[in-house]
Amino acid sequence: MSTKTYKKFENAGSGDLPDKMTVYQDCMNTFNESPVNPKRCRVLISRLLRLLSNGVAFPENEATALFFSISKLFQHQNDALRQAVYLAIKELSGMSEDVLMATSSIMKDVQNGSDLVKPNAIRALTYVLDESTAFSAERLLKSAVVSKHPSISSAALCTSYNLLPISEVTIKRFANEAQEGISDLKQFPSIPYDEHSLLVGEFYPNSTYMAQYHAIGLIYQLKKNDKMAILKLASQLANSNTLKNQLAKVQVVKLIDDLLARDPQLYRQFEEILLSWLTNKHEAVQIEVAKVISTFSLRNPRLVSPERFSYIVTTLQSLLAVPRVSTRFAVLRILNKIAMVSPEKIAVCNAELETLINDSNRNISTYAITILLKTGNASNIASLISRITRFIHDVSDDFKIIIIDAIRTLSLNFPQEWKSIVKFLIDVLKNSEGGLKFKNTVVEAIIDIVSFIPESKDMILESLCDFIEDCEFNEILVRILHLLGKEGPYTSRPSLYVRHIYNRVVLENSIIRSAAVVALAKFALTKNDPTLKESIVSLLNRIANDQDDEVRDRATIALRLIEFSEDDSTTVATELIEPKYFYDLPSLEAKLNNYLNTNDDSFKTPFDASSVRRFTEDEVKAIELKRKQEQALTGTTEGTSEPGAKKAKSESTTDNKGFAGPSVGEDEQELLNTKYAEKLLAIDQFKEYGKIINSSKPVSLTESEAEFVVNGIKHIFKDNIVFQFNITNTLPNVALDNVSVTCTQEDPEASQLEELFTISIDRLLPTDTGSCYVSFQKNDELVIEGFLNNLLFTTKDVDPNTNEPYEGEEGFQDEYEIDSLYISAGDYVTGSFIGNFDAAFDELPAEEIAVFNIQENLSLQEVIDKLVINSNCLPLNNTQFAPNDSNSHTLKLFGKSVLSGSKVALLIKMIRSSKGIALKVQGKGEDATLCSDLVNGLM
Amino acid sequence: MGNYFSSMFDRLWGANKELRILILGLDGAGKTTILYRLQIGEVVTTKPTIGFNVETLSYKNLKLNVWDLGGQTSIRPYWRCYYADTAAVIFVVDSTDKDRMNTASQELHLMLQEEELQDAALLVFANKQDQPGALSASEVSKELNLVELKDRSWSIVASSAIKGEGITEGLDWLIDVIKDEQL
Ligand SMILES: Nc1nc2c(ncn2[C@@H]2O[C@H](COP(=O)(O)OP(=O)(O)OP(=O)(O)O)[C@@H](O)[C@H]2O)c(=O)[nH]1
Ligand SMILES: [Mg+2]
Repeated sequence: MSTKTYKKFENAGSGDLPDKMTVYQDCMNTFNESPVNPKRCRVLISRLLRLLSNGVAFPENEATALFFSISKLFQHQNDALRQAVYLAIKELSGMSEDVLMATSSIMKDVQNGSDLVKPNAIRALTYVLDESTAFSAERLLKSAVVSKHPSISSAALCTSYNLLPISEVTIKRFANEAQEGISDLKQFPSIPYDEHSLLVGEFYPNSTYMAQYHAIGLIYQLKKNDKMAILKLASQLANSNTLKNQLAKVQVVKLIDDLLARDPQLYRQFEEILLSWLTNKHEAVQIEVAKVISTFSLRNPRLVSPERFSYIVTTLQSLLAVPRVSTRFAVLRILNKIAMVSPEKIAVCNAELETLINDSNRNISTYAITILLKTGNASNIASLISRITRFIHDVSDDFKIIIIDAIRTLSLNFPQEWKSIVKFLIDVLKNSEGGLKFKNTVVEAIIDIVSFIPESKDMILESLCDFIEDCEFNEILVRILHLLGKEGPYTSRPSLYVRHIYNRVVLENSIIRSAAVVALAKFALTKNDPTLKESIVSLLNRIANDQDDEVRDRATIALRLIEFSEDDSTTVATELIEPKYFYDLPSLEAKLNNYLNTNDDSFKTPFDASSVRRFTEDEVKAIELKRKQEQALTGTTEGTSEPGAKKAKSESTTDNKGFAGPSVGEDEQELLNTKYAEKLLAIDQFKEYGKIINSSKPVSLTESEAEFVVNGIKHIFKDNIVFQFNITNTLPNVALDNVSVTCTQEDPEASQLEELFTISIDRLLPTDTGSCYVSFQKNDELVIEGFLNNLLFTTKDVDPNTNEPYEGEEGFQDEYEIDSLYISAGDYVTGSFIGNFDAAFDELPAEEIAVFNIQENLSLQEVIDKLVINSNCLPLNNTQFAPNDSNSHTLKLFGKSVLSGSKVALLIKMIRSSKGIALKVQGKGEDATLCSDLVNGLM
Repeated sequence: MGNYFSSMFDRLWGANKELRILILGLDGAGKTTILYRLQIGEVVTTKPTIGFNVETLSYKNLKLNVWDLGGQTSIRPYWRCYYADTAAVIFVVDSTDKDRMNTASQELHLMLQEEELQDAALLVFANKQDQPGALSASEVSKELNLVELKDRSWSIVASSAIKGEGITEGLDWLIDVIKDEQL
C-alpha cells in the first residue's frame, strides 16, 4: 500500500472508510507476526477502531479472531501500543465474549504497568470482571482510587461506578477512599525538565481535576437512598471552594436537583448559591443551573419569584448568542420545555429565536421554530405559518416531522386558528416532497383536527378527496378512506364523497379497493337517505364481481349488512361498521394471553370478552386528548429521549420527571389500574362483586420517606366498595407480619357503608410492597364518606443471612397512623370528551353553584391541578393551564357518571387576590344529586 | 565492524528470530510457577491464570517468547487460538494428581493432533517431584501414553518448580532439539 492511500485513510474528515476486508486481513497478518512491529500495529488498530466507531460490524467469528490476534500483542512492552490494544479490547468486548482471555494480562498491567497504561488497564477491568470475580479486584481498585496520579484515580473511580450493578458490596468497602477523591486535588506528576516539561504546566493545566467529577458520581450512587447524606454532600460541596472541575460542578447542581425533587422546601437553602453559579465562567454550569431552576419553578411556581425566573430567562437569552453550537442547542431545549407550559415567560427571547430560524445548523433552526410555534399567540400564528411554509420545503423529513408535531399541538391550543393551520397542512401534504412517515404525520395531524374541531370537517374532507386523487402511499390512502367513511356521512354533501371514493374503486389496487368498499358501505348504513343508499347498493353490486376475492367478500358482506339494516330489529350492521364501544387494548391483550395460557379444555369454553374494559367513542377521545395533553407536557413527541446507557448505568440525577401536571403518567396509570384490577378480581372473596365500575388513582397516605409508605386506591363496584392499600416496608432489617389496615368511619352514626372483611398481608420483607384490602357493602347509589386509617402489624427482626425472620421470634405488635381516605363524588365520575363544551353546558338541566375561598398560599395552577384530580373530569379547550400573567382563569371540566352515564359539566371561575383565591363553581348535569355532590365536594 | 560481524553471526544462529513456546497443562500443574522460575529465577506467588501470561526471555543466546496459558476447563478451549507458529510445547503435569492423569492425557493428545502443532517439539515436565507420593517420570510417561507419539521429538523430565530442579535440564534438551530441527 502506498503512502498516498495511507494518507487517504487517515484523513478522518474525508468520509472514505478503509475497506473492511483489507483491514481485517492486514490486522490478522500483522498481529500474528513475530517479532511484533509496534508502530505498524498501532496504525492498524487505529484503522480498525475507525471502522468500528463508524458502525461497521464484524461477524462474530471474525470479531473473535481479531480479538485473539490483538491479545497476542500483550507480548510487546510498548506503552503506546498497549494503550491502543486497550482501546480495541474495549470496542471488541461488545462483540465477543472471549475478552475473558485478557484478564490475567490486564491484572498484571493494573499492578505493574506504567502510569501511562495503568488507567487503561483499570478501565478494562469493567469488561472482564463478573459477579464471581469482582471481589478479587477489591484491593487493586482501592489502592488505585487513592493513587496520587489523577488519571489512575479517575480510572479506578469509573470502573468502580461501572461495577456497581455487578458487585455493590465490594465497592462499598472503599466508599471512604472514594469520598476523599472529591476533595483531594490531584496533580499530574511533574516530568523532569529536559524531557516534556513544556507540555505540562505551561500550555496545559496541571490537572483537569476530573477525578472530582468521577468521585461525586460514585458517591452519589452509593448514597442516593440516604437523603440526609446527599444533602450533607451537596451543601458541603456547594459552599466550599473545592470544586475545580466544571463537570463536577454540574454534577453538584444535579445533586441539588435531586434533593429539590424530594423536598421542594430545600430550595430556599440552595437558591442563592445556584443563582451565583449563573455567572460561572463555564457555560455548562450556567445551563445546568438554568435548567434545574426553571424546571423546579414550573413544578413549584410559588417558590421561585417572577424576578428570579426572568433572571434565568435573561441568562438563557444571552447564551443563545454564543458561538458554541452545543450550548445554543442545550439552551433551546430548556426554552422549549418552558414554552410547553408557560410560553409567555420566554416571549422576550422571540427576537433571538427568530434569528435562529436562519441558523445553518438545522437542529437549531428547527428547534427555534417549534419554540416560536409555542410562544406564538393568536395574532402572529398566521405570519409564523407563512415563514414555516417557506422553510419546511428544504429541511429533511425528520425535521419536518418535528415541525408538524408542533403545529398539531398548536391546533389543539388555538382551535380558533384552524383555518390557517389546515391550509398549511393540506399544502404541505400536497406539495411537499417527503416519505411515508412524514406524510403520515401530516395526515395524523389533520385527522386530529377533524375530530377535535368539528367545524373544520367539510373543508378538510374536501381537500383530502383532492389529495387522494394523486397519492402514492397505500397506507395513507387507506387511512383517508377510513376517515371519509367515518365522517363523510355526517357532512352536508355525502354524495360528493361517495363519488370520490368510488373513483378509487375504479382506479386503484386491491388493498385500496377493499378499504373503499367499507367506506362506501358506511354511507349506506349510517345515512338515512334512500336514493343514496340505492346508488351505493348498485355500486356494491358491481364491485361484487371484482377480480380480487377480498374486495368481493367485503362487497358481499356489505350488501348483506345493508339488507339486514332495513329490518329495524337488528343492530348487527351498525355495531360492526360503527362500533359504539372500543376495547381497552392492553387489557384485551392481557386477557387473551391469559386465556391462551390457562386453556385446559382445548378451547371449548369460548373467550369471555365481557370482562374486558370497553370505552365509548367519547371516552376514547377523552383518553386520546389526555394523552396528547401529556405529550405536550413531557415533550415525548419531540423525540427528546435520552440516549440509553450501556449496562443500565442510571445517570446519577436524571431529569426525566418532566412537569408533573395533574394528568402526567396517565398511560402508565391506566396500565397499573388494569393490573391492580386483575389482581383484585382474582381473589375469591371479590368474585361475586361483579365488574369494577371505577378505580381511583392511588392516593398517597404517608410521606414518601416514612418507614412505611402507603397509598390507597378506591375500587367501586355496584353494591360494594373496596379499599386497596399498597404498603411498602422501607425498614432495612425488619419484616412486617399480618399487615392490615383498620378503617373507621369519620361519622359512624350516619355511615351508609357496612364493613364486611379485611384481607391482610402475611409478611412484608424489607423493601417488599404488598396490598391489603378492606371491603364494604354499600346501599345507596352515591356514598360519600371519609375514613380514619391505622396500619396494624407485627414487627420481626430479619436474619441478614437468610433474609427471613429469626426462628422462634415472636415479634411486637404495633400500629401506625396513616392519612384519611375520602370517597367523594369524583370517585363516581370519569372524564369525558365533548366537542362543544359551551353548548352542552347550556343544555344540561340540573344546576348547582358553590363558592369557595382558599386561604392557603396556592398558585392558580396548583388549584387547577387539584380541581382536575378531585373532580376526575377532563379539562377541555386547553383550560388546564393557568396563564402566568393573569390573576384570573376559567377552567372547563367535563365528565360522566360511571354508574348511570349521566353527563356533568363544571365551569369554574377563579380569581386570585391578596387574600387568597376565590372560586365560583357552576355545575350542570343530568343527575341533580351527582351534580350537587360533585360541586360541593370539590375542595 | 565488530557489530556487523556479531549481527551476521547472530543471524547464522537464528538469534534474531524469536522462538514461540507454549506452556500448557491442567490447572494448578505449576505452569505459571515454571514461567517465572525461568524468567526471574524465583518462586512467585501465583493466582489461577484467567487468560495467559507472556514473557520474553533470553536463553543461551536465543530469544524465547514464552506463553503460559491458563489450564482451567473454561480456558482450555481457547488454547488453540495461540497455536500458530509454535516451535515447542511444554506440557506440565502435576505428578501428585493421580485422579486427573487421564484428563491430562486426553488434553495432551487432543492438542497434538492439531495441524498447527505438527512440527512442534514436546517437553513434558512431571512436576512437583518434591511432594511425597509423586509419580515418577516414567510412571507419568505411561499414564500419558507418550510412547504412542509418532513423528515427534519428545522428552519427559522430572521437575520441581519450587525447588528449581529439572527445569533447566528440560529446557536445554528442548533448545537443542529446536536448533537441530528448526533453525
Ligand atoms: N510442591 C510444589 N508445588 C508447586 C510446584 N509447582 C507449582 N506448585 C504450586 O502449585 C500451585 C499452582 O501453581 P501455578 O503455577 O499457579 O499453576 P498453573 O499451572 O499456572 O495453574 P493455572 O494457571 O490455573 O492453569 C501453586 O500453589 C504453586 O506454588 C512444585 O513443583 N512443587
Ligand atoms: Mg497459571
